[in-house]
Amino acid sequence: MNMLSSYMKLAAAYTSINFKSLLAYRGAFISQMVAMFINDSVWIAFWCLFFTRFPVVKGWGVNDVITLWAIAASGFGLAHVFMGNALALPGIIMRGELDSWLLYPRAVLPHLLLGKSSASAWGDALFGVVVYLLFVKPDLPHFILFLLLICSVAVLFIGFSVFTGSLAFFFGSAESVSVQLRFALITFSTYPSPIFQGFVKVLLFTLIPAMFVSHLPVSALRNMSLVDAAYSFAGAIGVLAMGVATFYFGLRRYESGNLMEMRG
Amino acid sequence: MSKYFYIALTSIRSKLAYVGEIGSKTIFLFVILYIFLCLWKVTYTETNQNALGGLTLNQMLWYLVVTESMILSLPPIATVVDQDVRTGSLATQLVRPLSYPLSVFANTTGERCLSFAINFFAGSLIACLFVGMPDLQLHNIPMFLLLLPLSFALDFSIYFLIGLSAFWLEDTTGITLIYSRLTMILGGMLIPLELFPDSWQQILRVLPFSAIVYGPARTFVTGDFHLFFYLIAQQLVAIFIFAFLIHVVYTTALKRVFSHGG
Amino acid sequence: MENAVSVNQLVKNFVLKKREGMRWTSSETTAVDGITLSIEKGQSVAFIGPNGAGKSTTIKMLTGILHPTSGDATVLGCIPWKERTRLARRIGVVFGQRSQLWYHLPPRDTFELLSKIYEIEREVFQTRRDMLIERFQLGEFLDTPVRKLSLGQRMRAEVACSLLHGPEVIFLDEPTIGLDVIARQELRDLISEWNRENGVTVFLTSHDAGDIQHVAKRVIVINHGKVVLDDRVSRVRRQYLREKVLSVKYADTPQSIELVGVKTLIESGHAFKFEVDTLAVPIERVMSEIMRAGSVVDITIEDPPLEEVIAHIYSTPPESDEEEGEEETDV
Repeated sequence: MNMLSSYMKLAAAYTSINFKSLLAYRGAFISQMVAMFINDSVWIAFWCLFFTRFPVVKGWGVNDVITLWAIAASGFGLAHVFMGNALALPGIIMRGELDSWLLYPRAVLPHLLLGKSSASAWGDALFGVVVYLLFVKPDLPHFILFLLLICSVAVLFIGFSVFTGSLAFFFGSAESVSVQLRFALITFSTYPSPIFQGFVKVLLFTLIPAMFVSHLPVSALRNMSLVDAAYSFAGAIGVLAMGVATFYFGLRRYESGNLMEMRG
Repeated sequence: MSKYFYIALTSIRSKLAYVGEIGSKTIFLFVILYIFLCLWKVTYTETNQNALGGLTLNQMLWYLVVTESMILSLPPIATVVDQDVRTGSLATQLVRPLSYPLSVFANTTGERCLSFAINFFAGSLIACLFVGMPDLQLHNIPMFLLLLPLSFALDFSIYFLIGLSAFWLEDTTGITLIYSRLTMILGGMLIPLELFPDSWQQILRVLPFSAIVYGPARTFVTGDFHLFFYLIAQQLVAIFIFAFLIHVVYTTALKRVFSHGG
Repeated sequence: MENAVSVNQLVKNFVLKKREGMRWTSSETTAVDGITLSIEKGQSVAFIGPNGAGKSTTIKMLTGILHPTSGDATVLGCIPWKERTRLARRIGVVFGQRSQLWYHLPPRDTFELLSKIYEIEREVFQTRRDMLIERFQLGEFLDTPVRKLSLGQRMRAEVACSLLHGPEVIFLDEPTIGLDVIARQELRDLISEWNRENGVTVFLTSHDAGDIQHVAKRVIVINHGKVVLDDRVSRVRRQYLREKVLSVKYADTPQSIELVGVKTLIESGHAFKFEVDTLAVPIERVMSEIMRAGSVVDITIEDPPLEEVIAHIYSTPPESDEEEGEEETDV
């Protein structure tokens, strides 16, 4: 517990300095947040149009999809507000910047993840909460569950980013692969889960764990189901564990210096 | 004229080096088109309809292939112009015996055509895999091929104008973003105009967005003559208007360049 | 007394994989080939060698970043690659390419962050920070964003960062690279002062012969992964670092310069290159002779490149103890 509080304090220190650093360019910070807001709003507009024409799709209505977007956006946003370096992991590994982090008296992974905050992620984080409050108008118990679920989704996104980013320990084109995998996760996570069946559904519970972002959290909120919420958390923790394990496995390789690769 | 063609050709040649991009574009398109397929399949089944907004499921997916290919092929026109204005390289280009707007047009359109071709090729393979060959009539294709360059030209002229506003604005990325998102939504990229609420459809058909994305895509799948002629007229009028605006804005901007010494 | 750094037969091999078309070929290269050395607490050591000699690899092993292929090392009694975090609290590191300072914020903010990373007690931190600010003269730009600072100011702040948590050993990898003459000297003075007055062991790698003379008391030369020379700076200076190279350009043909200890290396029109033995004739004397000989358009004074010095070391064996006589005081 001592260690936990120590790292909580570290997270607080980094969040504060990251925020300060973003504020140093206030204009750019705000415009990036607004840009993300606009981006996300286009999708809400699309779904509103779609559900105006087709009110119910496989039991999902417009409120469900908006809930989904709120959870995904805020979860993603939260993850990268605090641990923005998760997105930059492949680059950090390939450029040898890991060395810098190894010189500190801290566990490498959490420390380096805290090192940056993504400006646009602040837009996502805010967007989800705003949209949920404005469109779905939840009562207090739902809102509290919502907040817990976005934490779960945030953990999942971090875990997934760490997993895909750590592939850079093993092969050179990991950067573009991880961008595509992350894109796939986000995209699959923002569509009503019932439209996916069969083999794809299995895929979305495993390799691209979108169901833990779309299906289970939305279901938990619809039915105030703590069981579904627990499954969401379990999935998130699972993905995180996978990511952390891959990272430390790759780190061992890195520290023995066998990361040298040259194109002939 | 031939020198502009040469510029376009050079731009295409340099892009061919980026073969690796094709791979990632294909994966990207695969994911999007697959998800759209799932969504629309379910929708068609649930509403028990053969055609929604006048399109069958097959046509719907091919419609989306065209719209996605178009949107994804967009080169950073406004950014290029914005940078040229800010770094002053626009001023240096003025001494060359080329018209600046036309050379940017040739350059970026070459890029866009190649990008579109690649996207469309990849998207077509994917669509064939999912729904089979497109059920369109042969005459759709030449109609589409006529509308496409006009649509690119129209889109270009708007982005060019936005880029020119760099003479007066500190940051053009906001406007660029808003315009691109409006095109996505109001241009029918994600959902054809027919499925919008009826009250909106009148206005949407007049706005340039629909002429850029919805028009060519719809023509490709349904080949509606009525629509075709309307679109040609609409595009030509719009291009004319925007070209005129560019002329006005550009000459005003140039006066500014010369009076400030570039 | 335990040594600050103890290294025994440290070896590091790398496996390089090359891709040719579709096939992979791998070859092994030895970056560090059995280094043995030990450094007492409070010493100031320059660890020099040409590019690719194995300096960076050695430092990486000593700071816990890299695991060696074989051999042992301890730093302050810890095995670096096994006790990384424990050791990290007690050592400071300044790598030329790595900046701890947050670019868009003033150095003050980075200091605050470092106090949290190292979990330094508030009062201890404040005292040490204020002392560093005063000694390193950071006060004038402490609240200026780092991006606005000159390289010299930035490096002073970087070195201060590395000392904030009170390390017992500091590793500096090319700290003076890119600095102008004045900034370089300032930084060297600060480092040697910190070594003398606080007893911090200094381990400095450099490509610059000048760094050796002004910061270190002891120099270890490494080449091809092996220790080539390990001796006191005073002796090394006398034997291998006494030359300076002067490049002079005159407006017209100058009078000839005949001085003991001055050798003309190149003569081309009005441009000359002299090699001066600074122990045979003071530089001042040479300069005035040069000025007297004609109207000088341009003049540069340089240390001979390190590669030459090392080649010299290879070809000339080190002197024995008896000749040390004169050089007890170091500049």
